[in-house]
Amino acid sequence: MQLTYLEAIRQGIWEEMDRDPTVFCLGEDIGIYGGAFKVTDGFIDRFGPERVIDTPIAESAIVGAAFGASLTGMRPVAEFQFMDFIGCAFNQISNMVAKTHYLWGAPAPLVLRGPSGGYVHGGPFHSQNPEMWFVHNPGLKVICPATPYDAKGLIKSAIRDNNPCIFFEHKYLYRRIKEEVPAEDYVVPIGKARVAREGKDLSIITYAAMVHTALEAAEILSKEGIDLEILDLRTVSPLDREAIAQTVKKTNKVIILHEHSRTGGLAGEIAAIINEEAFDDLDGPVVRIAGLDSAVPFSPPQEHHYLPKVEDVVRESRRLNAY
Amino acid sequence: MGNKKTKSKHNSNGNRPRNGARAGNPHGGTAALGRPVERSSTMGNNSPNAGFRTYSIPDYRLEHPDFTVRQHTEKDRQGHEHVRYEVEGNLDSPVPPIRDSKYLDKKQCIEIYRWMLINRKMEVALENLYKQGKVVGGVYFGLGQEACSCASAYALDKDDWFAPMIRNQGSLLVRGFRASDIMMQYMAKADSPTKGRDGTSHFGDIEKRNMVSPISMLGDLIPVLSGVALGARLQGRNIAVMTYIGDGGQSTGVTYEGINFAAVQNLGLVLFVESNLWAYSTPSEMQYRCKDLAERAIGYGIPGVIVDGTDACQVYDAGREAVDRAHRGEGPTLIEAKMMRMKGHAIHDAASYVPKPMLEFWKKRDPIARFENYVVKEKKWLTAKENEALITEVEEVIEAEREIAVNSPMPTPESAEGGVFCEDGCHEIKPKYGMPKVKKGTGSYKETEAAVHLK
Repeated sequence: MQLTYLEAIRQGIWEEMDRDPTVFCLGEDIGIYGGAFKVTDGFIDRFGPERVIDTPIAESAIVGAAFGASLTGMRPVAEFQFMDFIGCAFNQISNMVAKTHYLWGAPAPLVLRGPSGGYVHGGPFHSQNPEMWFVHNPGLKVICPATPYDAKGLIKSAIRDNNPCIFFEHKYLYRRIKEEVPAEDYVVPIGKARVAREGKDLSIITYAAMVHTALEAAEILSKEGIDLEILDLRTVSPLDREAIAQTVKKTNKVIILHEHSRTGGLAGEIAAIINEEAFDDLDGPVVRIAGLDSAVPFSPPQEHHYLPKVEDVVRESRRLNAY
Repeated sequence: MGNKKTKSKHNSNGNRPRNGARAGNPHGGTAALGRPVERSSTMGNNSPNAGFRTYSIPDYRLEHPDFTVRQHTEKDRQGHEHVRYEVEGNLDSPVPPIRDSKYLDKKQCIEIYRWMLINRKMEVALENLYKQGKVVGGVYFGLGQEACSCASAYALDKDDWFAPMIRNQGSLLVRGFRASDIMMQYMAKADSPTKGRDGTSHFGDIEKRNMVSPISMLGDLIPVLSGVALGARLQGRNIAVMTYIGDGGQSTGVTYEGINFAAVQNLGLVLFVESNLWAYSTPSEMQYRCKDLAERAIGYGIPGVIVDGTDACQVYDAGREAVDRAHRGEGPTLIEAKMMRMKGHAIHDAASYVPKPMLEFWKKRDPIARFENYVVKEKKWLTAKENEALITEVEEVIEAEREIAVNSPMPTPESAEGGVFCEDGCHEIKPKYGMPKVKKGTGSYKETEAAVHLK
């Protein structure tokens, strides 16, 4: 059936709650209201208020309670109304949840999920991509799907995983993309990238909404005879080092594209992996396209300037191709 | 969803009358700590205080120490100014008796006394190990707080959960960890509960002893323990979840979030607020403005109570009543235990900032000396000879535990690796108290309509 990105996530959680009585949801306004974006719409009627819990506006309490429940063998799915607010729970995630298995051997099978990303004029506190705050935290799995198929398969994997998973849903994609999703149960493995477009001239390594930006650029460039390969990481921690090395070895030229700020961003880490795994295969410098080193500004012309665009990918691809 | 008949059912998510709508019987938990506590009442219209509400906080102490600490500038002989803490108030009052417990019998009192002795003797052993250079890092003591640690944990049932703070080493012992476990944590040994990966009381056990590991950041355990109670409730069990916070730690925002979450969800949190007067070097006067931290309970809408933290019977009784409330599904309780931290923050800290008269006052209220006097002299439950034999037995236990700890090897460097994630076959995740019974509504899956926020 044809599903939007949002519907795919919603269906994934719904099916997991149907399948496994230990799965439950908690978060702000997720019950009768169904969530700010309606991801849990109808859940409270189906699964009851015991399993679809409206919480106080208290992100540390939400994460703490999810973690505590996971210690008793439950599989909580906690919603952040916007992923920007995950900062309010940072200590709980970084110092409590992420370290628990390494330090004292307690598994924490919980999912923290919510909308992230720009392109919707949400302003500095409703547009962020805070995944790097958590990539630098060993013990967490960080997932950023780009398509409805992957979103559904990955939310199911995250719920079934025995580790804390942070699931970033790109809000720009929620209702803008639609694709055929199988009706039967399936999962997409965490930590595995996919080639979103096969190509031979240069590779774009990216994820989430930027996959679609890269695909658009690829269409434009194909008319000029530049053939892009697009690697969709799907999971940003742990990274699929093998897939990164493979695409570099194939095309010998690479652009890393992400929405969040450049400095300390994922591109730096991927560039280092390329150095370690495929330095001899490079025929040009590793290029980064990223958001500016500032907050995400509110006004549309400013936000447009801040965020990576199709024309950025086209321009940088032409430059690197000629190198 | 599509249900024409509207049924009103009580559930965990509220449906309780709120302020104003209630008739003197707030929340589901009526009998706070075994007796009705009128936490909010509005005076009748004829009263001169019409419109004012009164709240009460039971205070079980047999004395009410009355002094304050303030900053004071003094000059030395050279005329240089120094800012010091000084204490003002009545510091000469006699030591009160132990309040007889409503629940504890002779055998149980002796058992708690023994746990307190083990707690203290273990910390003495740790201090010696530190002086011998065998401890990695510092040592944190619960001197003066043994009654609060031991008698509180003693009030828990087997299926209940707890999480200690750094000074609650007595709670760990009562809940079944060995003194050698704690010693090996301090010595960073391979056989320590965390296999060297963390020290102090930072370890846990979700299998047998139902303990959540603390972290160094204060207050974070409160929502976590609330979540444990939530998980158990989803599995059909009302359990008690006990944790601790100091007068310093309660200043954190997550403390508020955690207690409020437990209150709203009516979860069996038993929170001991250990008012030990010093948060590292900062006196409680600079930590909060209200008279007693138990008053905070009023704001949370939960029962609050004050006990003498150096009186094991008071601590146990309040803990037991809170645990019973939790088991009845009546929600959280805040217990403020008043005492003083009788050593520095950690072993490196001589606590020279504590005014001497204050230390002397609380020295006379040593929880173990008081309880020894109670058990041996007042109740005559132990003869002097039996008491001596008990102390000797405890010393032998600690010596044997010390031997085990000292003889454990250091971990290999490579053992720093691995275990970051729970891999396949590493742990089986299953509900601890049984599979939740799922009630399914009639709502079937159908696609949701357009989004609302930020299209």
